[in-house]
Amino acid sequence: MTDPAPETDAERFLRLAHREQRGRLTAYLGAAPGVGKTYRMLQDAGRRQAEGTDVVVGIAETHGRSDTAQLLEPLEALPRHVVLHQGHSLEEFDIDAALARNPDLILVDELAHSNAPGCRHPKRWQDVEELLDAGIDVATTVNIQHIESLNDVVAGFTHVRVRETVPDRVLDEAELIVVDLPPEALIERLEAGKVYLPDTAGRALSNFFTPNKLAALRELALRFAARSVDRRLSDQLQTSGEKGDFVSGERLLVAVSAGKGGAQVVRHAKRMADIYYAPWTAVVIESGSARAVRGAQRDQLADNLALAASLGASLMTIAADDVGPALIQQARELRATQIVIGKSRRSRWFEWRHGSIAQDVIRHAKGIAVQVVPLEEGDEKPPRSDNAYSQRDNVIAFLGVAATVALIHLILPWIAFGAIDLLLLLPVIAASTLIRTRAGLWASVWAALSYNFFFIEPLHTFAIKSPADVVTFVVLALVASVIGALAGKVRRQAETSAGVARLNASLARFAGLMGGISDKDETARVACREIGMLLDVEAVIVSLEDDQIVVRGNDKSVRLDIVDEAAARWTLERGEPTGRDTGTLNASDWQFHPLKTSLGTMGALGIARASQQRIIRPDDATLLASLVDQTALAHERLVLEAQARQVGTLRERDRLRGALLGSIAHDLRTPLTAVIAAAEAIPAEGSFAEEVRIARTESRRLQRFLNDLLEASRIEHGTIEPKWESIELADIITAVLHDLRQDRPGARVVTRIDPDCPFVSSDPLLLRHILINLIDNALKFSPAGSPVEVELVARADTALYRILDRGPGLPADSQILFDRFERLEGSDRVGGSGLGLWIAKNFTEAVGGTISAGNREGGGAIFEVALPVAMAKGMASHA
Amino acid sequence: MRKDVLIVDDEPAIRRLLVGALDRTGLSHEEAATAAAALRIAGGAQPPHVILLDLGLPDRDGLEIVPQLAALGLAVIVLTARDATTEKVAALDLGADDFVTKPFDSEELLARVRSAIRRRTGHAVDATRRAFLDGTIDRETHRVIIRDQLTDLTPREFDLLWTLAEKPGRVMTHVSLLESIWGPAHRDDLEYLRVAVRSLRKKIEADPARPALVINEPGVGYRLAPETR
Repeated sequence: MTDPAPETDAERFLRLAHREQRGRLTAYLGAAPGVGKTYRMLQDAGRRQAEGTDVVVGIAETHGRSDTAQLLEPLEALPRHVVLHQGHSLEEFDIDAALARNPDLILVDELAHSNAPGCRHPKRWQDVEELLDAGIDVATTVNIQHIESLNDVVAGFTHVRVRETVPDRVLDEAELIVVDLPPEALIERLEAGKVYLPDTAGRALSNFFTPNKLAALRELALRFAARSVDRRLSDQLQTSGEKGDFVSGERLLVAVSAGKGGAQVVRHAKRMADIYYAPWTAVVIESGSARAVRGAQRDQLADNLALAASLGASLMTIAADDVGPALIQQARELRATQIVIGKSRRSRWFEWRHGSIAQDVIRHAKGIAVQVVPLEEGDEKPPRSDNAYSQRDNVIAFLGVAATVALIHLILPWIAFGAIDLLLLLPVIAASTLIRTRAGLWASVWAALSYNFFFIEPLHTFAIKSPADVVTFVVLALVASVIGALAGKVRRQAETSAGVARLNASLARFAGLMGGISDKDETARVACREIGMLLDVEAVIVSLEDDQIVVRGNDKSVRLDIVDEAAARWTLERGEPTGRDTGTLNASDWQFHPLKTSLGTMGALGIARASQQRIIRPDDATLLASLVDQTALAHERLVLEAQARQVGTLRERDRLRGALLGSIAHDLRTPLTAVIAAAEAIPAEGSFAEEVRIARTESRRLQRFLNDLLEASRIEHGTIEPKWESIELADIITAVLHDLRQDRPGARVVTRIDPDCPFVSSDPLLLRHILINLIDNALKFSPAGSPVEVELVARADTALYRILDRGPGLPADSQILFDRFERLEGSDRVGGSGLGLWIAKNFTEAVGGTISAGNREGGGAIFEVALPVAMAKGMASHA
Repeated sequence: MRKDVLIVDDEPAIRRLLVGALDRTGLSHEEAATAAAALRIAGGAQPPHVILLDLGLPDRDGLEIVPQLAALGLAVIVLTARDATTEKVAALDLGADDFVTKPFDSEELLARVRSAIRRRTGHAVDATRRAFLDGTIDRETHRVIIRDQLTDLTPREFDLLWTLAEKPGRVMTHVSLLESIWGPAHRDDLEYLRVAVRSLRKKIEADPARPALVINEPGVGYRLAPETR
């Protein structure tokens, strides 16, 4: 390597990824393995190469077929990336090599493939996305059963669930080419041994190859492709403005629950959304009891939400106690036309006891269609049937009631018998408010039973003699259970609103803390401390400074390894989350969230957690998003403040300089006037004639220079406000020639004036300066004896001043002439401040004109000032 | 004896130069360095004909004393910077006769001074006839003679030429011309004046593209070139 500082992998892929135009994806879609997708892709690639396209094979499997290998022969193949994993060496597609090679078109077989651990992305489709982002066209192959939204459908009739899936959105933009083969032909090929099946999956996969299943898969593939064509058409209609909104006007809301059933419902909703071309929202309702969802279920919920996001849903989490009404309210707020909800097959008894959310929603959803997706039995267990908790609740309830019974026995001599049943309600209320509804219900059972056992005749049996006691017992049981349920509900509501209040309080506190800081390090430190406390994570703020990752905000010295840095860089440069639990560079221990503002990505928040759990629980996701927003805002504020300070200083410095210049120029002007007048009063004859001549010309020159400085300072201060009036342009020339006779006696100027040139609305003084400066400039470069020519020409809607000379002409890039202090090479011998043309340009623009310069035929330069001619009103009528 | 010129400037160097120029042409003069001194001399028994007034005086703004000086019957010529059009217009509207821009050309300055003195002292032959460079205009007979040629003018052109010719060499501001010819309602309709000047020039100028009679002072107004003698 000759390169002194070899760039890291991360640097390289980021650089290569930084290209403007996104590549096009062509996907060869098949109903099953063996239909000839790879073959067809290679055929097309060969043709493209023959047409002159730069084609490279990223990865393609021949599966030992010679005809496929033959097609591969003439194509350039990238070396594969060898990954060691658990003693095996695996060959994977080399994304870095592909980006470095940068072909027009790259072939990447098997879109659904999962990469070996240690690759940049866990999935090959992510590699493909990166290639597309880098502006490289990609051709790939995929089977219909790998399409995410069709996963359940395929599994439903093939009984084979494919683990490797591709999100639908990856194929949204793709051109789909269906590689079709009738089922019979495919089976023939299979029997002829032309279809490769991996040994491990052989038996399972061969389940595909029955005529019925193949026909179903084929139909699915064709339908999918047709829908894609349809959607692209309607997209085009929309972008070309022929239709305003989604074609159907439908909007879907899907209730996401934990468990596999949740995923099933999400996929169903995606298919519905596709059919209606409808936008859809995935909602999680967090009720008090659902907060108790823990561990595996919590992760599943997060997975289901991630699935919905990857299928194109927008996400939403709502805290509410009653799932059904909350769902309907949300649907109304979003103007959803359909609600999709899952329903497990459970016994009527179960539903009678627990109620069914689906039933609840259907009952209350007036005007909103409800789609109920039946789920496999037992899949969606209600979270409350958590046995460990149930046992504990029961024991506590029992102990509470026992203690109460003992207490009643102690104080029995002093109380009325009627108070006993009231006293027995105490443990019920205590259990349901302090612990949970379930404990309250248990307590009510125990209370009723012990009332019967200890206090109703015959004592110490569960028999009841008197009918009045039966009534008392039944009433006690009912009251106890109702109180238990109500108290529990109150407690849950209090918890829910306390949770919301806590969230708001922490956000308010956070915003307050961040608002008062005006230093970058301190902002980062406070943000990380607070975020760390609120979410129980380690937090850092990373940013790019001089292309180096800078870590702020953590007192413990946090070290990011190369993977973490790559993830941080990705987030900083792309503005997407990366790292653990995300789809990009998830080998990193950190999760990075971009701090996005209107000024761009200000940095990234990195969070990490020591344990193996997810870093962010789904119910904290909203809080995290708010915290990230607040942190980003605080950073944006810092930058804006710094800018404002800087602008303030600059402006002040500028003002002082202007004032200084103005006063110097004024103080110089008065003595200079005397000098000039004096020099002119001395007769230029005798032995000092030459000296007098020099004194005259040089003092005039000094005066012009001074005027230039004054005018330049006016331009820089933006104090040029044209005084508009109707102007006879010829008059300005006359006045300038008059000035010139004073300032430069002996200068030769020839004029050509169109006497019928229309009047323009402009500022006479600015025009005068423009002309003086341009004529002055032309005189500087004119050879002795050749006059400067000044023309006034009328064009259709402009009037032109043209100043022509016979000097050396202009260099090629004549526009730089109008820059400040720009002079023609060697022209400082001729004298001048270098400001003249810059002033002319600024003044011309101030009066709405344009100035240009060019070379004249036969040698010399032309400067042209074009001034817009306003429609003259009532011209001749008042003469 | 009445002096020809009162020089008012706080810069001794400028005063000395002006004195030198006036001396060379034989014009009599006196000097003042402040507005107060200028008013004292102008209000004295023997006021000068012309006052050369620098507007940047130490005690008062020169513009403030222009009306008083004009009311005392002096021809006021203000000395201003070339760019100070607002100042020029203000001075003229306040009653000044003319202006000279700094740094001044002594020949031009002396020509202006002489022209102003002539307007003060020259005994007008009769009230209806005026002479200017290359021609005469007679309000009684409505006859305009340019370079010995009888010239036909429209009433508007005649009004314009007469207004300018009343005091040849003196600058009339755009607004004062518009007010006296078109009436106060049209004081901002500069376009009318431009059109009239253009058509007048076509009739009286030897080369309308290079006007020598009706001279524009950009941003200020017009003057008619006076008789040279």
